[in-house]
Amino acid sequence: MRERKFFVPLEQPGVGTMMLPGMPSKYSKTQWTLRRPAPRLNEHTGQIFHGEPWNLEGEYSQADENCGLIPGKDPTMAEAPLSGVRVLDFTWVWAGPYCTLQLAHLGAEVIRVETSKRPCPSRLVGPFPDKQPGINRAGYFNQYNQGKHSIALDLSKPEAIELAYELVKHADVVTENFAAGVMDRLGLGYEKLRSIRPDLIMISMSAFGQTGPFRGFIGYGPPAAALSGLFFATGYRGGDPCEIGISYPDPNAGVFGALAVMAALTHRALTGEGQYIDQSQWETVLVEMPEGLLEYAMTGREPERMGNHDSIMSPHDCYKAAGDSEKWVSIAIGSEAEWRALCQVMGKGELADDLRFKTAALRKRNESVLDEIITSWTKEQDRWDTTRVLQSAGLAAFPSMSNKDLTDDPHLRARDYLIQLEHPEVGRRIHAGIPWKMSETPSRVKAPAPLLGADTEKVLTSLLNLTRDEIEHLRKAEVLI
Amino acid sequence: MENQARTPFSAIRIVECGEGVSAAFGAKLLADLGAEVIKIESPSGDLTRQRGPFPGNVPDSEKSGLFIYLNANKRGIVADLELAEGRERLHTLLEHADVLIHNVAPSERVACGLDSAALCATHPKLIVTSISMFGEYGPYANYRGYELTASHASGWAFLSPGASPYPELPPLKCYGHQLDFQGGAHAATVTLAAYLHRLKSGRGQSIDISEQECVAAMLEQNFVHYTYSGQQASRLGQRLIGPWFIADCADGKIFVFTVEEDQWKRLVELMGDPEWASEDLFRDRFARGQNNDALKALMTDWLSQWNVQNLYKEAQKRRIPFAAINTMGGALSERTFA
Repeated sequence: MRERKFFVPLEQPGVGTMMLPGMPSKYSKTQWTLRRPAPRLNEHTGQIFHGEPWNLEGEYSQADENCGLIPGKDPTMAEAPLSGVRVLDFTWVWAGPYCTLQLAHLGAEVIRVETSKRPCPSRLVGPFPDKQPGINRAGYFNQYNQGKHSIALDLSKPEAIELAYELVKHADVVTENFAAGVMDRLGLGYEKLRSIRPDLIMISMSAFGQTGPFRGFIGYGPPAAALSGLFFATGYRGGDPCEIGISYPDPNAGVFGALAVMAALTHRALTGEGQYIDQSQWETVLVEMPEGLLEYAMTGREPERMGNHDSIMSPHDCYKAAGDSEKWVSIAIGSEAEWRALCQVMGKGELADDLRFKTAALRKRNESVLDEIITSWTKEQDRWDTTRVLQSAGLAAFPSMSNKDLTDDPHLRARDYLIQLEHPEVGRRIHAGIPWKMSETPSRVKAPAPLLGADTEKVLTSLLNLTRDEIEHLRKAEVLI
Repeated sequence: MENQARTPFSAIRIVECGEGVSAAFGAKLLADLGAEVIKIESPSGDLTRQRGPFPGNVPDSEKSGLFIYLNANKRGIVADLELAEGRERLHTLLEHADVLIHNVAPSERVACGLDSAALCATHPKLIVTSISMFGEYGPYANYRGYELTASHASGWAFLSPGASPYPELPPLKCYGHQLDFQGGAHAATVTLAAYLHRLKSGRGQSIDISEQECVAAMLEQNFVHYTYSGQQASRLGQRLIGPWFIADCADGKIFVFTVEEDQWKRLVELMGDPEWASEDLFRDRFARGQNNDALKALMTDWLSQWNVQNLYKEAQKRRIPFAAINTMGGALSERTFA
């Protein structure tokens, strides 16, 4: 990270030079800068309300008029935001496909390049319906590749690389998450692809980035969480560092990959320029660790593991509810008014005047006793009853949800978040859908995940004008496999 | 700032309001690319000003590390959106703004002048991006929430810590504000998508981001485990593959982890081909997942003879994906890579 200059200095008045986690993705064209300290409370009120609030002059200020995307070209309003954007997707496993899933959700045409010679690992691991494995039956693959197309292309064959070059001519974006250097070795590095398509946007998503001393290191999601300090800081009070239950750095890299591609598409719309994006999975986790990293930098202390507790708010825990060892309810109290309301709801109004619990700081100090008192109330009742009675008093409470709870949840169903599309090999299975709603443009999953190679012929005939015979020949030569 | 070259993103003028991490992070991600951001705080200041960390551990609302990280590159004003005067300030800013990004709770939006539909009607070119725990409609839309309850609502905490042997300990929230960071990162992405749409159509729109939904989609052991195989995933389950555990070295902790069979074979070599490694219990990664605890017990002595850094380096040389359990100091200094 030192060589990649990940930590960036900021001159903050009153504090001095701080080294802050820097850019989650490195852009070859878009500038990323820390150019102004954080504002003091109320610092700019005078400036903003006694002058012009915004700088309306300057080169890019009339971007709307100058961008080359002519307003009014989309009179139907029915198109998704990325309709017309084509992504040639070389990613596999998880982080990369999670990036292109977001782009497909936003309406991009995502064409996954795959091969049955070396299938995406997420096609090979369960869950499978009825425990029957099958390359098109894997739950992970079918979750992370909704709405995408698939072409079968064995990139170990020179003819396949030639076809890839032809496809790049028709692509706005190329995505990949191989180990650093693999795309170059295949002849598919950015410099080569840019010579084919000058305004191309390309993102490489690797474990440690394309530069720096660790570029060649092997990485996965869980080790990235260990290296970032996330395991160290997570755990029960007084206990050991904990593994965090999910491979968070993988989908997280996908989320930041999608953001970087959106930034590059915006940059291209405003300037006409394409660019290259170098993303390190490790760095995308560190941008979400400022509290701990800065605690060490500012005080020399490591963050304390505190389970479900908080450094300021109290009570703040996940409490046992009636039922088996999977039934729990989380409660977080953020103010004195909320604390008094909690005491009322629990039927323990006298606690509000108890000197041990008079302020948040005192409640923190006596937290173990307090948690026992609250548990004596929560453990006797259903987690949903606790949730409802606290929420009606305006208090933050919610059950700890399992995958079954979430699948059955009336709220997620009412929001059309859970989707069920007819898939040719696994039928109608519920998947997580799009985690946002847009009022003017559709947020719909267009299709279930593709069968491996399902769109080979369609893509090669429609984009490259290949004939049936040419395609048949390439199939026989095991280029399209 | 005035001396800096303006970037294409300086065309995007953003108003941010609300409290805490999610909206501030979303706006920060765009501010760092050059967008102009004006942050509206309540008269008492943003909550993150009180959270620290602080230099020398002395609380000072102008020196909170978290606040500074989230709000560098922004200008700041104060407006109380519960008062007409404050809402007037908001609307003055929105006159020429492209984006409003906020995380005011759905139940409070109308009173604060932040009703999405009303804002879009008044400002047809404006993009209104709102972040909340559960989204702006649906049975739980008006539920109150903080990072903790969102983390349990998303299903993440239920799975953590993985393969826990302690059913009496509760599902565990991950460190920090990960739900809020996800809300912010998704918000920035979708805001740019709406901006691209506006460049084509000339029209703004409103965006509704639910942190619960963002994170529920990110969990590997979520919906499909139930809807494909009927499995109720849990923190109390077994490892799917192994080895997969945290263990002690002589001077710290290491994450012992292999995914592919060839990585395991090279690990066995590195361990000096112990006899137990060829037992049926460890025949493939799934069997090793089932017998992860036995594996850990058998490897303990060998692991305890190493320094973390040396083991990490020797493993990486053989393309075995171990990792140091870095402290914050370790992550900052790259001690593990010295």
